[in-house]
This record gives sequence, structure tokens and C-alpha cells, in this order.
Amino acid sequence: MKKQHLIYLIAGIVLTVLFYVMRVNAYEAVYAVSGFSDQLYNLGLYETIPLITIAVAWAMAGIYYYAINSVRFDRWYHWLVMLALVVLIAPIAGYAINSHVFDENGLSYATESLTFEMVNMMWAAVLFVVASFSMRWWSTNCRHTPIPQ
Amino acid sequence: MRLFLLAIGGTGSRVLKSLLMLSAAGVRPVDEDGKPVPNLEIVPVIIDPHKSNEDLKRTEALLTNYRTIRNRLYGNEVNVEGFFANRIVTLREIMSDSTIQLNDTFIFNLSAVEREKFRDFIGYDTMNEANQALTSLLFADYQLENKMNIGFVGSPNIGSVALNEIKDSDEFKALANVFNAGDRIFFISSIFGGTGAAGFPIMVKNLRQAKNLEINNRDVLRRAPIGGITVLPYFNIEHNDDHRIDKADFIVKTQSALYYYKETLTGANDSDLNAIFYIGDQEVSKPYAYDPGEHGQRNRAHLIEMVAALAPLKFAGIADSRLTDQNGYPMPTMAFEFGLEKDVRDIDFLAFGASTRRLIYEPLVRFHLLFLFLRTGLRGMIGQGFTEDEPKLKSDFLTSQFYRTLTDQFMRGYVEWLSEMYDNNRSVQLFNMGENDMSNAIHHVHTRKTLLGRKTVDNNTFKAEMNRLSRDAKYSTRTTEYKLLDLFNRAATTIVRDRYENIN
Repeated sequence: MKKQHLIYLIAGIVLTVLFYVMRVNAYEAVYAVSGFSDQLYNLGLYETIPLITIAVAWAMAGIYYYAINSVRFDRWYHWLVMLALVVLIAPIAGYAINSHVFDENGLSYATESLTFEMVNMMWAAVLFVVASFSMRWWSTNCRHTPIPQ
Repeated sequence: MRLFLLAIGGTGSRVLKSLLMLSAAGVRPVDEDGKPVPNLEIVPVIIDPHKSNEDLKRTEALLTNYRTIRNRLYGNEVNVEGFFANRIVTLREIMSDSTIQLNDTFIFNLSAVEREKFRDFIGYDTMNEANQALTSLLFADYQLENKMNIGFVGSPNIGSVALNEIKDSDEFKALANVFNAGDRIFFISSIFGGTGAAGFPIMVKNLRQAKNLEINNRDVLRRAPIGGITVLPYFNIEHNDDHRIDKADFIVKTQSALYYYKETLTGANDSDLNAIFYIGDQEVSKPYAYDPGEHGQRNRAHLIEMVAALAPLKFAGIADSRLTDQNGYPMPTMAFEFGLEKDVRDIDFLAFGASTRRLIYEPLVRFHLLFLFLRTGLRGMIGQGFTEDEPKLKSDFLTSQFYRTLTDQFMRGYVEWLSEMYDNNRSVQLFNMGENDMSNAIHHVHTRKTLLGRKTVDNNTFKAEMNRLSRDAKYSTRTTEYKLLDLFNRAATTIVRDRYENIN
């Protein structure tokens, strides 16, 4: 195991933990609406949604680099397909949870939720990039995807 | 150990070409325990006055290409594994004596012989009448008029006179000077032609009588382990009214020469030769064009040449204790023959006996798969996987001198060699000619069965295995060329064993 690659992995984990620790700031720096943001906070959705986003990003990166891990899927555009899946799955899952929790509490934030998930989409993409560059080094066939190094 | 390989005449060149192909594939001489012979350097010397012989020119070009490729891969390393493993050097390359001027070539300079007609060479016109009459008894008119730059045209009686001059040549002195204790000498020649049939016994005699020569290392040289392969008739030539070379003479000449060899080289109590290998085939080859030499003589490669090429490797692997006695003197001659497992006209790997298969099957398959991979796979992989590990293999690699020498020149020679052996009789079809599908590349050898059919082998199979090996290996101190061929060799070893049926 190369030292440099280990540093990448540790850096990725640290960045992800930092993201989780500063999740409220991270989301609200991009999108904050009084009322909706308060409800996200009060209903614990600022804990659930980032967790799901992190899980989806790291899981999809893991699947790509270690489960798929194929010479037939080792090009940058294959990685882009995975990125596309991440930025679809994480917001859809987030939106479903938001809707469910708001419904249970008799609240209606359909438009705000949609915009919020657009922001979540961006963070999902960032987290997938971080996860990819943290773990790709030990992949047999995809370690040089998306950018050779 | 250095193995001085003296390839005499057209057959010598063609056998040497086969040896090059086997060496490129990674066939190495092994000792009696099956381990590669260590520190082996092969020093081929082509002895043929017929410089315009196409077979000689093709072999010389391949030798040069082989050396270029190997130097780029391994530099001066001797003990390596994989493709182009056998180190092949020129006499000049290993020579330390600067007083002898030699060209950096694999060809023995026979300029003293090749410029003249035989009658001028022996000074026929200056002989007295009695000697001229005796000479006319020994040599036919056409032999006296023979220009020796086309060889000795099936006339060993000319060759034996002309080649006796070799002992005074710079090349012979250079060979004598670089020859050390532990080195060996091996001759490749045919017995039914002119140059080889004459050159072989003359050269052996000159080596064994080295004590009379003005050279260094005389004692070492005359005790040298010497082996040779004598190629018996194996090819046919088209009928021609010019009878300088006549197939009908092949057997008679062979019998006479064998008697002569028995008397002078290989008899029961004789120790001039340590080992003699005989090979021939009564199966008639496709007839070659009748060409005593004027048109370049370009003969198709033949199974016999490929098998003959294994003889020097076998000789290199024989233990010293079987070649020389306790005092370092040569032991009586050992004789070897070769037989196929199956007496068939279409030769695949299964036609060879187990020991030959063990020696050549995996290396040749790996090399053939490399040929297919370079032709169909590598270009599309650049920028991905193993090519991006250090040292990186970029697209400019495909235009490098190494790659062009390997693919445009050496591999072209390889395909030509395979095609010619296929288009001969016996027909050698080790691989399915023209087949790019790696799963079906080996003739009569399939990939292994699974529950869902047979395993497949394609460029991606190699890419995946090379990716895996490259991830775990360290090539950063090696060249790109070495990385590519070493990775492929290791990947192919695994793939051939795991995915193809085992025929060994």
C-alpha cells in the first residue's frame, strides 16, 4: 500500500466527517429559507439526509471500484454514469424521506424540498468525487478512472 | 557459459531463424534438473560464402532485430525470464582484443573465399600438368568454374578445400581468443548439401587441432565441449536439367558423409565431437524452387528446422560431467535422435512428445498471444489500467523504434515463419492461421469447459490480469518496454494454465 494513497484515503474520510459535522452550514450556505430550514433542523432531517447522501456516495464509489471493477467499465464515462446515478439516487431518497417526515407532521414544503434536493445533488456529486479519490487506488481495473494518476 | 553457435550454409541459417523464434518466445535451455542454464550467452556465427542467400539475409535481419529488442528490454542482464530471454551477442561484442578488427555482425567474413572461382582459389592455372590432371580427377569442370560467392552448390569436395582457410581468419582467431573454459561450441549444418556438409568436419578438425594454430586459448579450445546437429535430407527440390544439385544425390551424399563422420568424428572411440544430433524426414517436403544460388535461395521454413533448433538448447543443458572426463578431456560421442509422438502430416502441439511439448508449448503460446495482443489490443488500452502505472505507456510508444522493430519487423518474420511451416509438408499448424480470436488461436487446443460453455480469452482477459499484476508490482526502475512484455508474459502464464486445456 503506497503511503500517498493512504493519505488520500484518510483525507477523504476527514473531509467527509467534516462535511457531516458542518452539514447545516454546508447546506444553508447554498440554500436557506426561513421556516423550511428550521423544520429540517427541528425534525432531524439535517442528520438523516447528509447521512444518506454520504452513504450513497461512498457505497456507489465502493461498488464501482470494487464490485464492478471491470476492464469493460474502466473509462471516464463509465465513472460519469456512476456519478449520474449518485446525483439521482441521493436526492430522490432525500426527497422521499423529507416528504414522508413533513407529511407525518402535517407540513407541506414540496417546492422547497425540491430546491433543497438540488443542493443535495451538488453535495452528493462532491462526496462521490471525494469517495472516488479516496478509495480508487486499490481497485484492480478502475484505479486510473476517471483521471489517470 | 557461452555457446558458440556455428551455423553453416543455408540450413544453418534457417535453423538459426527457428532458434530465434523459439528464443523470442522464451524457450530456454534447461539442465538435467529442468532448471534454466544460468549465465548463458549465445554467440551465433553464420558461415556461408553465399552472402546473397535470402535465407541468410532474413536470419541476419532477425538476429539484428532480436538483439535490438533484447538490449532494450534487459540491457546486459543475462539471467532473465520471459520473451527474448536468451542473450544473443556477436563475436565483436564480447571481444576484448583490440588488435583484431571485426565487423559487428553475425556473419563470418569469408571474403578470401567468396570472391573467386574455385579454380582460381586453388591456383589451378599455376599447377603443373600432373597436378592439373589429378585435380581434374577430383573435381568436375563445373566445380572448378564454380564462383564461390554462391556457396559450394552441393559440392562438399569444394567446400572442404575452401573452408579449410577459415582457421586463418580473424573471426576464427577472435573466437579462439574469447573462448574460455566452460564455454561450448555447437555446429548446425546439413549433410546433403555443399557448404554445411564440408564446413562441419573441417571446423571440428581445426578446433581439435588448435594446438597447431597461432592462437591463444589453444588448450582450452581443443578440449572444448563440441556438439553438432547434422540435418539429414528433409526437403525436395524441383526437377531441373541442370544437375549441379540433384535430389537423387541427397541420399548417396548423406551415406558417404555419414561414413566419413563415423571414421573421423563420431566413431565409438572417437571424441572429436561430444554430442551429435541427427535429424531428418523421409516425408517429402513441398518441392523448393531449383536454385543453386544465383537467384538468392529462399526456402520455406520447415518443421525439421524448428526441431533442429532445439538441439543446441539441449546440448547447452547437458551436464559437464557427461561431456568431459575428470581431466577435462572430451568423452566419447553421445548421439541423439528425435521422433514425433505421432507420425502425422499435420503437426500440432499434440504431435510432439511430452518433453518437447513441455519445452515449447507454453512459451510459443504466450508469444503467439502477445502477437495477437499487440496487433489487436494494446492500442485501445493506452490511457487505461496498467498502461497508466509507472512507467507510463503513452501513445508515442506505438511509434517508438522498439515497438516498430518488434511488431513491424520481428513479428512479421514470425508470421512468415509460421506461414511457411504451415505451407510445407509436413504442415506445421501450431496455431490457427489468420485467427484473431484468442480462444480459438491454438490449433486443436480448446479453452476449458465451464457450466455455461467454454472459458473465453480475449484482450480484456489480458488487460484485467495485467492490471492486477501491475498494481502489485514495481516497475518504476524499469523501462516501459520491459514492463509491457514482463506483465504480458506473467499474465499469459496464468491465463494459459487457467483457461486453456492442459496438454502437457
